[in-house]
Amino acid sequence: MKKATGKDHARSKPPGLMGLVKPYKGLIILLVVLAILSNGLNLIIPKIISHGIDAIEKGQLTLRTIIIQFSLTGIFVFIFAYLQSLVQTYASERVARDLRTRLSERISRQSYAYIQETNPSRLLTNFTSDIDSIKMFVSMAIVSIASSVFIIIGASVLLFTIDWPLALVVLMIIPMIGTTFYLILKRVRGLYMKAREVIDWLNKVITESILGAALIRVLNAQQPEYDKFVAANKDARNIGLSIMRLFSLLIPVIWFSASMATLSILALGGHFVITGSMSLGDLAAFNGYLSMLIFPIILIGFMSNVIAQAGASYSRIQGILSTPDPVEPGTVTELLNGDIALNNITLQYGQKFVLKDVSFSIKAGSRTAIIGPTAAGKTQLLYLLTNLVKPNAGTITYDDRDINEYQKEALHQQVGLVFQDSIIFNISLRENIAFNEMVTDAAMDKAIETAALKDFVASLPDKLNTIVSERGSSLSGGQKQRIMLARALAIQPKILLLDDFTARVDKNTEQQILENVARNYPDITLLSVTQKIADVEQYDQIILLMEGELVAKGTHPELMQTCPEYVQIYQSQRSTSHYELQPE
Amino acid sequence: MNYNLNKPSTKKPSTWVALKKLYQFLGAEQKNLLQAFLAVMVSAGLNLTGPVLAGYAIDHYIQSKQYSGVLMICGILFVMYLIAFGANYLQGRLMGSIGQRMLYNLRNAVFGKLQELPVAFFNQNKAGDLISRINNDTEKVNQFFSQSLIQFSSSIFMMIGAGIFLLSINFRLGAASLLPALLLLLFTRLISPWVRRKNAANMKSTGELSSEIQESLNNFKVIIAFNRRDYFRERFEETNAKNYKAAIGAGVSSNIFTPVFGFSAQIGQMIVLVYGIYMIASGDFTVGLLISFLAYVTNFYNPIRQLAALWANFQVALAGWDRIAEILSMESNLETLPATTSVNGNGSVLAFQDVYFAYPDGKAVLHHVNFQLERGKTYALVGPTGGGKTTTASLMARLYDPTKGTILLNGKDLRTYEPSERSARIGFILQEPFLFSGTIRDNILYGNEQYKALSNEQLTAVLQEANLESLLSRFENGLETPVLASGDAISLGQKQLIVFIRAILRKPELLILDEATANIDTVTEQLLESILKNLPPETTRVIIAHRLNTIENADEIYFVNAGEVQRAGSLDHAVNMLLHEKRES
Repeated sequence: MKKATGKDHARSKPPGLMGLVKPYKGLIILLVVLAILSNGLNLIIPKIISHGIDAIEKGQLTLRTIIIQFSLTGIFVFIFAYLQSLVQTYASERVARDLRTRLSERISRQSYAYIQETNPSRLLTNFTSDIDSIKMFVSMAIVSIASSVFIIIGASVLLFTIDWPLALVVLMIIPMIGTTFYLILKRVRGLYMKAREVIDWLNKVITESILGAALIRVLNAQQPEYDKFVAANKDARNIGLSIMRLFSLLIPVIWFSASMATLSILALGGHFVITGSMSLGDLAAFNGYLSMLIFPIILIGFMSNVIAQAGASYSRIQGILSTPDPVEPGTVTELLNGDIALNNITLQYGQKFVLKDVSFSIKAGSRTAIIGPTAAGKTQLLYLLTNLVKPNAGTITYDDRDINEYQKEALHQQVGLVFQDSIIFNISLRENIAFNEMVTDAAMDKAIETAALKDFVASLPDKLNTIVSERGSSLSGGQKQRIMLARALAIQPKILLLDDFTARVDKNTEQQILENVARNYPDITLLSVTQKIADVEQYDQIILLMEGELVAKGTHPELMQTCPEYVQIYQSQRSTSHYELQPE
Repeated sequence: MNYNLNKPSTKKPSTWVALKKLYQFLGAEQKNLLQAFLAVMVSAGLNLTGPVLAGYAIDHYIQSKQYSGVLMICGILFVMYLIAFGANYLQGRLMGSIGQRMLYNLRNAVFGKLQELPVAFFNQNKAGDLISRINNDTEKVNQFFSQSLIQFSSSIFMMIGAGIFLLSINFRLGAASLLPALLLLLFTRLISPWVRRKNAANMKSTGELSSEIQESLNNFKVIIAFNRRDYFRERFEETNAKNYKAAIGAGVSSNIFTPVFGFSAQIGQMIVLVYGIYMIASGDFTVGLLISFLAYVTNFYNPIRQLAALWANFQVALAGWDRIAEILSMESNLETLPATTSVNGNGSVLAFQDVYFAYPDGKAVLHHVNFQLERGKTYALVGPTGGGKTTTASLMARLYDPTKGTILLNGKDLRTYEPSERSARIGFILQEPFLFSGTIRDNILYGNEQYKALSNEQLTAVLQEANLESLLSRFENGLETPVLASGDAISLGQKQLIVFIRAILRKPELLILDEATANIDTVTEQLLESILKNLPPETTRVIIAHRLNTIENADEIYFVNAGEVQRAGSLDHAVNMLLHEKRES
């Protein structure tokens, strides 16, 4: 412990737990000093007692001194111990809070791909249980180890000054207890790893059963869910039992060792007193110091476990903190015109091709549709255009300039993406729509009107201040979708990307919304992923994607002439198209 | 019923009530508990007699210089310590196992309750908060049971035993030395509710922190696309700061026990020393007795010191338990009614009779809804968004009960069906497709007892028969394609395909599709349509869709708007209504 604070040692290793608490040096030192003071004063008590007893034997009673000594130490111990507990709480919570802030700052700068890769639920564990074990380290381990070492050394020194051969015998229990701890904790640690895995599994079952609650009820699969949980829980219990069995051996062994020490004190000490080389008071003090020794030894054993766990947690957190910020070479903040071009774009997830050598271009102010079957790569294409994912090969340009040359914020300010899945934050409707902070009230009103949400908003008792919920029943699928659109329009984008926007909005509303967009945002460049040909027949360009490849591009009449796949899709929708052709 | 867990409760936390409820989870452990307590008493008793013998040795042998006597006592002590070792081990093991099994029962009970509760419960509570309750709060209870319970009970025994010894050796001195403990008891009683409250507040803010992180990280793409990385940071900072404050409050309150308990231990020792010396001076007491008396006082106050730390843990566990008990006290409002023989509904598969529905927040969604669905026909529900289509479908599948009116399935009140029978008869493809992590096979067989045991080959044959195989061939590794619950590896359209296969395989009598194919291309959709057409002739289908070609083959179309369900007659009429009706959404 002490060594790690040496500067040379600390530098050779990656920053460990000591590096973590370094910025809080002042607090930690204060903590250790308080702990040593309160525990050190405790050491005096047996001395006072033994003096008292010796005094009676010699017949020199000084009750007053004893009372004064005793109460003074008692009061000071109380004050120091209480201060220590306050500092302890404060220090550990501050370390935890600051670490959480650092984590959130680091994570908030990462790319979408990074979050997906590291997995949100694992990140949640970093924020909660990993931080908890570090908190435990700061609040308990540091103080316990410092004061335990102090007490052990102090008590040992005192034992030696009283009678060194007896002290040697008594102190034999330290290596004995140490070995027991080492052997048992070594095995427990392996079990802890297993337990963590089982708990992760248990948590996954819980999480999925909450998120899939509606489905489980529709399928009446509560029993299988319960069985799944019980199986996981049983594993957790069995590992818990194994750990417990090891631990239940630990405490009796320690007690037994301590008892053996008591026995030696009686046998040997008794002999010394009989031979006259030791006083009766000293014998009592010996017993007192022994009982003081045991607890710190046990504590150090347990704390070695806490330290090991905190170390593992911190290295996980460190892994995230040391992720470099994504490089942001883009500096261009110029306003976009709206020309878009994709040149030989390829996107791969592992071995699987999502997009293969796709090229096309879009003129500013034009309307383009992307059509294609499920899993054609349509959504991923929109993610590429908003820099959420990066292509494995090929380039994307806006106004003939590479997408990477643009400052990300500037780009996101001008490219509005309406996601396919409805993502509503648990905040007010106003904040959900004016999600980007630059949005003015006028821009927001225009967006709300365009997305045909005006009547809906007016029907709410709290209007725009209504808090909408995560998966709440308060919004229908179509309403969520329209809120998503309003959110994208509110930033007054130059380019609007729609991902299957019309899927959940009824015919009439859809038409009204598209007219509103054309009227309120006349110069906008529109790229719409859709399933319905009828809606986009008038578009300047239609692109047909299949299994990641661009099959055809052109206007509706062109594709009807040249592309059999397109015709097939068209046929599949034709039977009802006469309804869809009468707008009004 | 209101299922919101975070509504402030007016009940005062009572330790006894909480303990009584917790006791239920001990189940059939009475015998083990008894054995454990016996072991605790044996080991505590032996640990207590040790100092008596030592004191005896000092008084009778050491002071009179009879070393053989000392050795004899040492021999007796050695045997005693050996027995204590065994009893100690037994005590730890028994208590530890009881704790583990109790935790096991507790977790099962919470999860089982969760499964009993209706969808409304999940809509009214945040996922992050629920997860935090089940994971973190049971863990707090666990920590107490697996780590502290043994020490807790043995400390209490040691304390009581030492107390009795103190009183029996010398009543006056004993009573005097116990005085500070009495004050301690009073102090603990007064302060504990406060400690528990502070810890409950801390857990609540931890739940908020976890739902905040959950929401932001799961929706990270929106945060990036709208330049709101600062939103994540700011929102997080706010909950983080709140959590910090609550945690400090909890820490400061929990930590008050240790110094106070330590202080009273010292006072106890001082009283014994001073009073003992006074008694020796007056000839009522011996030095040897004083030494062993001092050892007993230590034996009495050491466990009390330990109790200080444990008591704080105990309060934390109780606070966690309170939060779990809130879930356990919830009751499902969707009970199965006793079966009635009266059958009506004019032979329809499903009938709504004057059905009204409002959400618990008072928002009325459906009123005065009447319709009947005939066997083997296809029905379409159309209407503007927010008009009540999904709610109507949810009522059909009894995700909720109507506020007023009845729904009849095959002429019998839907509420009289056993859940297993109901779900076998009614299939419902939800608007938001949900997949469990695992494989596609796991997902299409989810909740399907009939096909669960089939080999992949047999299952493929079944799929072929149902014309579903061509859908499956779109996935690279077929049945064994891995599925992750989160993430974009599987597109929304693909998810809808899997969910579709899952529902068809169950062969329901009534199949409800709530925009089940919204994100599937129209060519594939035609395939799905032909699959639907080939379902057994007695299957009734209810389709909610916006795409008109999805519903053009419907036998009957209902127009759902502003909480009313009207028959639309023909498709033309329906389209007309869609285009021209005054809408409310």
